[in-house]
Amino acid sequence: MPRAGRRPARIQAQRPPRANASYSFRLFVAGNEPNSTAARHNLKQLCERYLKGRHRIDIVDVFESAAAALKHHVVVTPTLIVLKPKLGVTLLGNLSETSQVVATLRLNGNGR
Amino acid sequence: MAATARRARAIRPAASRSSRQLAKIPTGITGLDDVLRGGLPAGRMTLLSGGAGSGKSLIATQCALHGARAGEPSILVLFEERAAAVRQNVLSLGWDVRALERSKKLFLLDARINPEAVISGDFSIKGLLAILDRQCKAMRARRIVFDAVDTLLQLYGNPARERHELNGLHEWLLDRELTAIMTVKADAQEGPSRYSFLDFMADCVIHVDQRVTVQVTTRRLRVVKYRGSGYGRNEYPFIIGDNGINVIPITSGVLEHRAPGAKVSSGQAGLDHVLAGGYKRGTGILIVGTAGAGKSTLACLFAQAACERGERVLYINFEESAESMVSNMQSAGVLLQPSMDRGRLVVQSYLPEATGVEEHLLRALAALDELRPQHLIVDAISACQRMGTTHAAFEYLMRVLDACKQRGITCIYINQAIGSDVVSEISGIGISSIIDTVIALRQLPIEDETKRQLIVMKSRGSCHSDRFHDFRITDRGIELAQA
Repeated sequence: MPRAGRRPARIQAQRPPRANASYSFRLFVAGNEPNSTAARHNLKQLCERYLKGRHRIDIVDVFESAAAALKHHVVVTPTLIVLKPKLGVTLLGNLSETSQVVATLRLNGNGR
Repeated sequence: MAATARRARAIRPAASRSSRQLAKIPTGITGLDDVLRGGLPAGRMTLLSGGAGSGKSLIATQCALHGARAGEPSILVLFEERAAAVRQNVLSLGWDVRALERSKKLFLLDARINPEAVISGDFSIKGLLAILDRQCKAMRARRIVFDAVDTLLQLYGNPARERHELNGLHEWLLDRELTAIMTVKADAQEGPSRYSFLDFMADCVIHVDQRVTVQVTTRRLRVVKYRGSGYGRNEYPFIIGDNGINVIPITSGVLEHRAPGAKVSSGQAGLDHVLAGGYKRGTGILIVGTAGAGKSTLACLFAQAACERGERVLYINFEESAESMVSNMQSAGVLLQPSMDRGRLVVQSYLPEATGVEEHLLRALAALDELRPQHLIVDAISACQRMGTTHAAFEYLMRVLDACKQRGITCIYINQAIGSDVVSEISGIGISSIIDTVIALRQLPIEDETKRQLIVMKSRGSCHSDRFHDFRITDRGIELAQA
């Protein structure tokens, strides 16, 4: 049964999230180094534009929570994990390539 | 105060010789510490590069495990392999990683990047460093291995960024005085690697490779640089044996050889007379002759006599099994079984082509150290070419003889000559120059019988007869006609 339970999750990942779905993010940053600051800023802007009122951003600083970084295999920072919806994607980097981030997070149908 | 100083030295043994001398940590790998004159530079970075399957990861892992077992907590950062796979791999070599992990002496960090992760914009390895900082403090780590660091660097796809990140990592390591090993994939054939900047960054650079020569695979290791230290500058063969990596250094020059010892009976009174008393202990002796000339019989007579004196003999046979050797010698009146039963004569039979030259060499050296024989017989060195190439055979024979001379062991090589002109064929794969005594056996067809003759062609530092002596092989061994 556990095996059967895992498979649909992958299939679901291929499917676009329904319109108006809420998003929940966990962003791993390394203090205030430039890439981390940029990622915070970029993610915030994208959420404002595409997910107004239906997003949650949980920021984890690896310098303060190394245990959490270890638990989630965060080797590079910034790392963005999408907790909801189950897209099965991880983004690495400062999220500066907006169109790529939008496509990866499937925000297209969610915009204004 | 004195007690504290002594304690500090005990913890860092390499530093005790002189404060100016570079502190080193042993790798725990047989032979490699000899090549590195003590080990890797303590608190510095070492780079291990090599192609796929060259054994670089295992060398690095073994060093970390050695550290962990010797009380230096170690961290293994895995960029490519799963931690579970590494545990399994080293378990097959008899190391229990789990026990070391439980006692907090070893930590395996799975640092593989999710292959499905999407990269958008610049990033750094701060996350990794934060994890490592925490782990290093928690377990007081002294050694750290970054396995397949190229896998991480590939993410950047930008040489300048790769370099910048590695510089950052290097600084981080130096600040914490961690002894680090980085492994990186590099193919010697492909010219300079894109990661060659690592060579400049590291204090010690070791290249390993695996090559196939005449269907026999060999692994080689070379120290490319070692800041502030001398090192063995050759290419050294190594093998992955049952207990991990074994490197075979050339440990000596002739200067380390012991002086030849006293005369010892050849086991045949007539030959002793010809040799003015017998062979010299601790020297190299070559017995050369055509097939059936009595070479093995002559060597076995010597072995029998030595065993009867209470000495030990190791007989490495590349031609036949111990059983068939015993029965063949019995028909010539040489009884080997009693000596074997008493553990004085040890016969090891191998097929030369079964393994590469390194493995043969390691077996021979291990047997010399384990049995501590007074005498070694190798039958026949002509078969050694089947280990690969003539060069491989030469290497094997040179090193075995070298090892014997260092240990004061008499070494008898038997060589089968192909032509009937034995006298001009004594070369014995080019090793005759390091041989002290050469005895040639020949068979001359005279009417309806064969006449057997023996001549001492060379006997360093000793007088000897220089004419042919007739001999017969009877059921009481070899009978030499007294001149």
